[in-house]
Amino acid sequence: MSKKLKKIAIYGKGGIGKSTTTSNISAALVESGYKVLQFGCDPKSDSTNTLRNGKYIPTVLDLLRQKQKVDAHEAIFEGFKGVYCVEAGGPSPGVGCAGRGIITAVELLKQQNIFEELDLDFVIFDVLGDVVCGGFAVPIREGIAEHVFTVSSSDFMSVYASNNLMKGIKKYSNSGGALFGGIIANSINSPYQKSIIDDFVDKTSTQVIEYVPRSITVTQAELSGHTTIEAAPESKQANIYRNLANKIATHTESRVPAPLETDELREWSAKWADQLLAVESGEIRGTGSNI
Amino acid sequence: MVKTLNLKTPVVESREQRLGTVISWTGKASELVKESAYSKGCGECTLCELGNPFTQGSTCSEQMVECQAGHVREAVLIQHAPIGCAAGQVAYNSLYRNGLQNRHKPVENIRVICTNLQEKDMVFGGVDKLRQSIIDAWERYHPKAIFIGTSCATAIIGDDIDSVASEFTDSLNIPVVPMHCEGFRSKHWSTGFDSTQHGILRQIVKHNPKKQEDLVNVINLWGSDVFTPMLAELNLRVNYVIDLASVDDLAQMSEAACTIGFCNTLSSYLATGLEQEFGVPEIKAPMPYGFKGTDAWLREIGRVTHREELVEKYIAKKHAEVKPKIEELKKKLKGLKGISATGSAYSHGLISVMRELDVESNGVLVFHHDPIYDSGDPRQDSLSQLVDNYGDVPSFNVSNRQQYQFYILLKKYRPDFIIIRHNGLAPLASRMGIPAVPLGDEHLAVGYDGMVHVGEIILDVIAHTKFHKDLAAHVKLPYSKWWLEQDDPYILSKNSDLIYQE
Repeated sequence: MSKKLKKIAIYGKGGIGKSTTTSNISAALVESGYKVLQFGCDPKSDSTNTLRNGKYIPTVLDLLRQKQKVDAHEAIFEGFKGVYCVEAGGPSPGVGCAGRGIITAVELLKQQNIFEELDLDFVIFDVLGDVVCGGFAVPIREGIAEHVFTVSSSDFMSVYASNNLMKGIKKYSNSGGALFGGIIANSINSPYQKSIIDDFVDKTSTQVIEYVPRSITVTQAELSGHTTIEAAPESKQANIYRNLANKIATHTESRVPAPLETDELREWSAKWADQLLAVESGEIRGTGSNI
Repeated sequence: MVKTLNLKTPVVESREQRLGTVISWTGKASELVKESAYSKGCGECTLCELGNPFTQGSTCSEQMVECQAGHVREAVLIQHAPIGCAAGQVAYNSLYRNGLQNRHKPVENIRVICTNLQEKDMVFGGVDKLRQSIIDAWERYHPKAIFIGTSCATAIIGDDIDSVASEFTDSLNIPVVPMHCEGFRSKHWSTGFDSTQHGILRQIVKHNPKKQEDLVNVINLWGSDVFTPMLAELNLRVNYVIDLASVDDLAQMSEAACTIGFCNTLSSYLATGLEQEFGVPEIKAPMPYGFKGTDAWLREIGRVTHREELVEKYIAKKHAEVKPKIEELKKKLKGLKGISATGSAYSHGLISVMRELDVESNGVLVFHHDPIYDSGDPRQDSLSQLVDNYGDVPSFNVSNRQQYQFYILLKKYRPDFIIIRHNGLAPLASRMGIPAVPLGDEHLAVGYDGMVHVGEIILDVIAHTKFHKDLAAHVKLPYSKWWLEQDDPYILSKNSDLIYQE
């Protein structure tokens, strides 16, 4: 049984498509015969919905609320082609502490040796990526995930969230924490969007793992409660996710990123704002000119 | 053996999660034995915990770390916490100093540092302060180990204490041991014992030890040295842990021939961990209280350390020496009634001792109940052994030191004395005219001599009953008339709406 478990965390700003992307990666990996557990670390608890016909599952923290003694196995549910689904869960908006919720849920599964017991190939943490407190940083700490990827569009706020995540990774990298695998560039449909992301990875010494275009196929699949891999297995989009999953499966070398300081990030975004404005007003300036 | 403890993660599993611990229950001891049977794989769980509508004072897992890790010689404990968590330092300093004195070691102050977390540390994170405190501890004391106790505050903001500890373990070349002991993590403070022991097992105990075939780990607190002379008769040497031990004493636990304790509540995690991780056998026998318990306990030590003959000689000698004394004591103690109010397993032992002395003991208050201990071995089932060897306890009460419940128990049973280890319960009894036998020295009741000690101290204490009666005549208890008239300590647990009545 001594196969090597690969532990991955995927972060992304809320609403950027991180759960969609993660679930499609999980679906593609199980389709290739791997044993995968997807661990949703977002109090909304909907990370794994599309792996289970759009249905919510009871969360680890629900169990903690109801029971004297928690058996973590009761929080594990099988989905598409046997993928294991777990949701950390968390408090209602505006109360309690969602970060502590993640700490508690992750600890519980670790203490009960769940990852080892299920003889997994991959554990994928799907984490709300604003890293607003120590709790949301748990998956990037020592001994939890090894490789971290971030889902980002070319929107400034999304890039900002990715930069923040890199700051977190850099901080923990000295003490055995996870390293940065790269950016999954999402909703990239035009050259200027690609240019923005390319420029950002260049400035932060990282890389783009895959460009994922925005696609109606994904929306259709999601609305029907499925991943694209399941709902439209023959589609072009499904193949993009398969490529992405394959790259993540074979990815070995992650690095310490070089996030931009706040002022640098501001200057960088201002430069892009000028450029986009110039392009819109008809000025021709090279990169990104063909919007 | 099946591995029951997970030492891979720095965070200990709570007692309720591992053992199914409860903190509120009432009934006969025999019923509790029956209801706890599920933990040994006998059917579904039938152990129903009573809910309490409120808690009148308690303690915290963090304090258990303070009283164990904070009492290791040549080490420093850093409380990574707001200053309130450091309030216990005064009391723990006094226990440490007295303990050192009792064991004839140089008296010194505890070395506990609090990071004094404040508002801005909660907002911006406290690990920089923790780093500074580790550096300060190192420069000031050059300790052989640094323990870090966490707090509710640091656990909520998610300070990454484990990484900081790993970083300094490497740079200082000493164990820097995180102990996750937030009060909210467990409903019972004894998880704090486990948290300390978990950290010590992970980072202090020597790997690849050289065996010392005559060394016995004794898991205890600050009690007087009763084990050295006892085990010397078996040609065994004592390694007292954790309190008052040096870091080297802790490290050599893996070299010992076996591990024993005076109370399963305290020793469960560490003893099982030493067996599971280092092959040091835990003595799986009744605890050393009363003749039956002590005989069986010694025989198991003899079997494991191959000293059967010496053990039989010692048992015969002590029986002959102690029995006449006990017969004398019985005459003087005849007709007395006593109630113990202590930690869980310890009370099982104390009731056995009282019954050996023919003291009536039909009521007890224990601070929690573990349906099983970490070894899962039936030979350590101290409650069953109490019931089987000494008969039932009709009023067996699990209450995490709730004085308002203890009041009714005392009122109903009108004991001549109470036996306690925690001082907070004595004033209540005093105000009801009942003197307390304070076993601050937890070893007083251990073994054959323990029965004599307990008998003698009961006689000493009841000699000043009049003082307590006078006190009772002049004080008023703080309870309402309604509560003073109640007969069931758990009436509020069974019907919590009652507290909202006019």
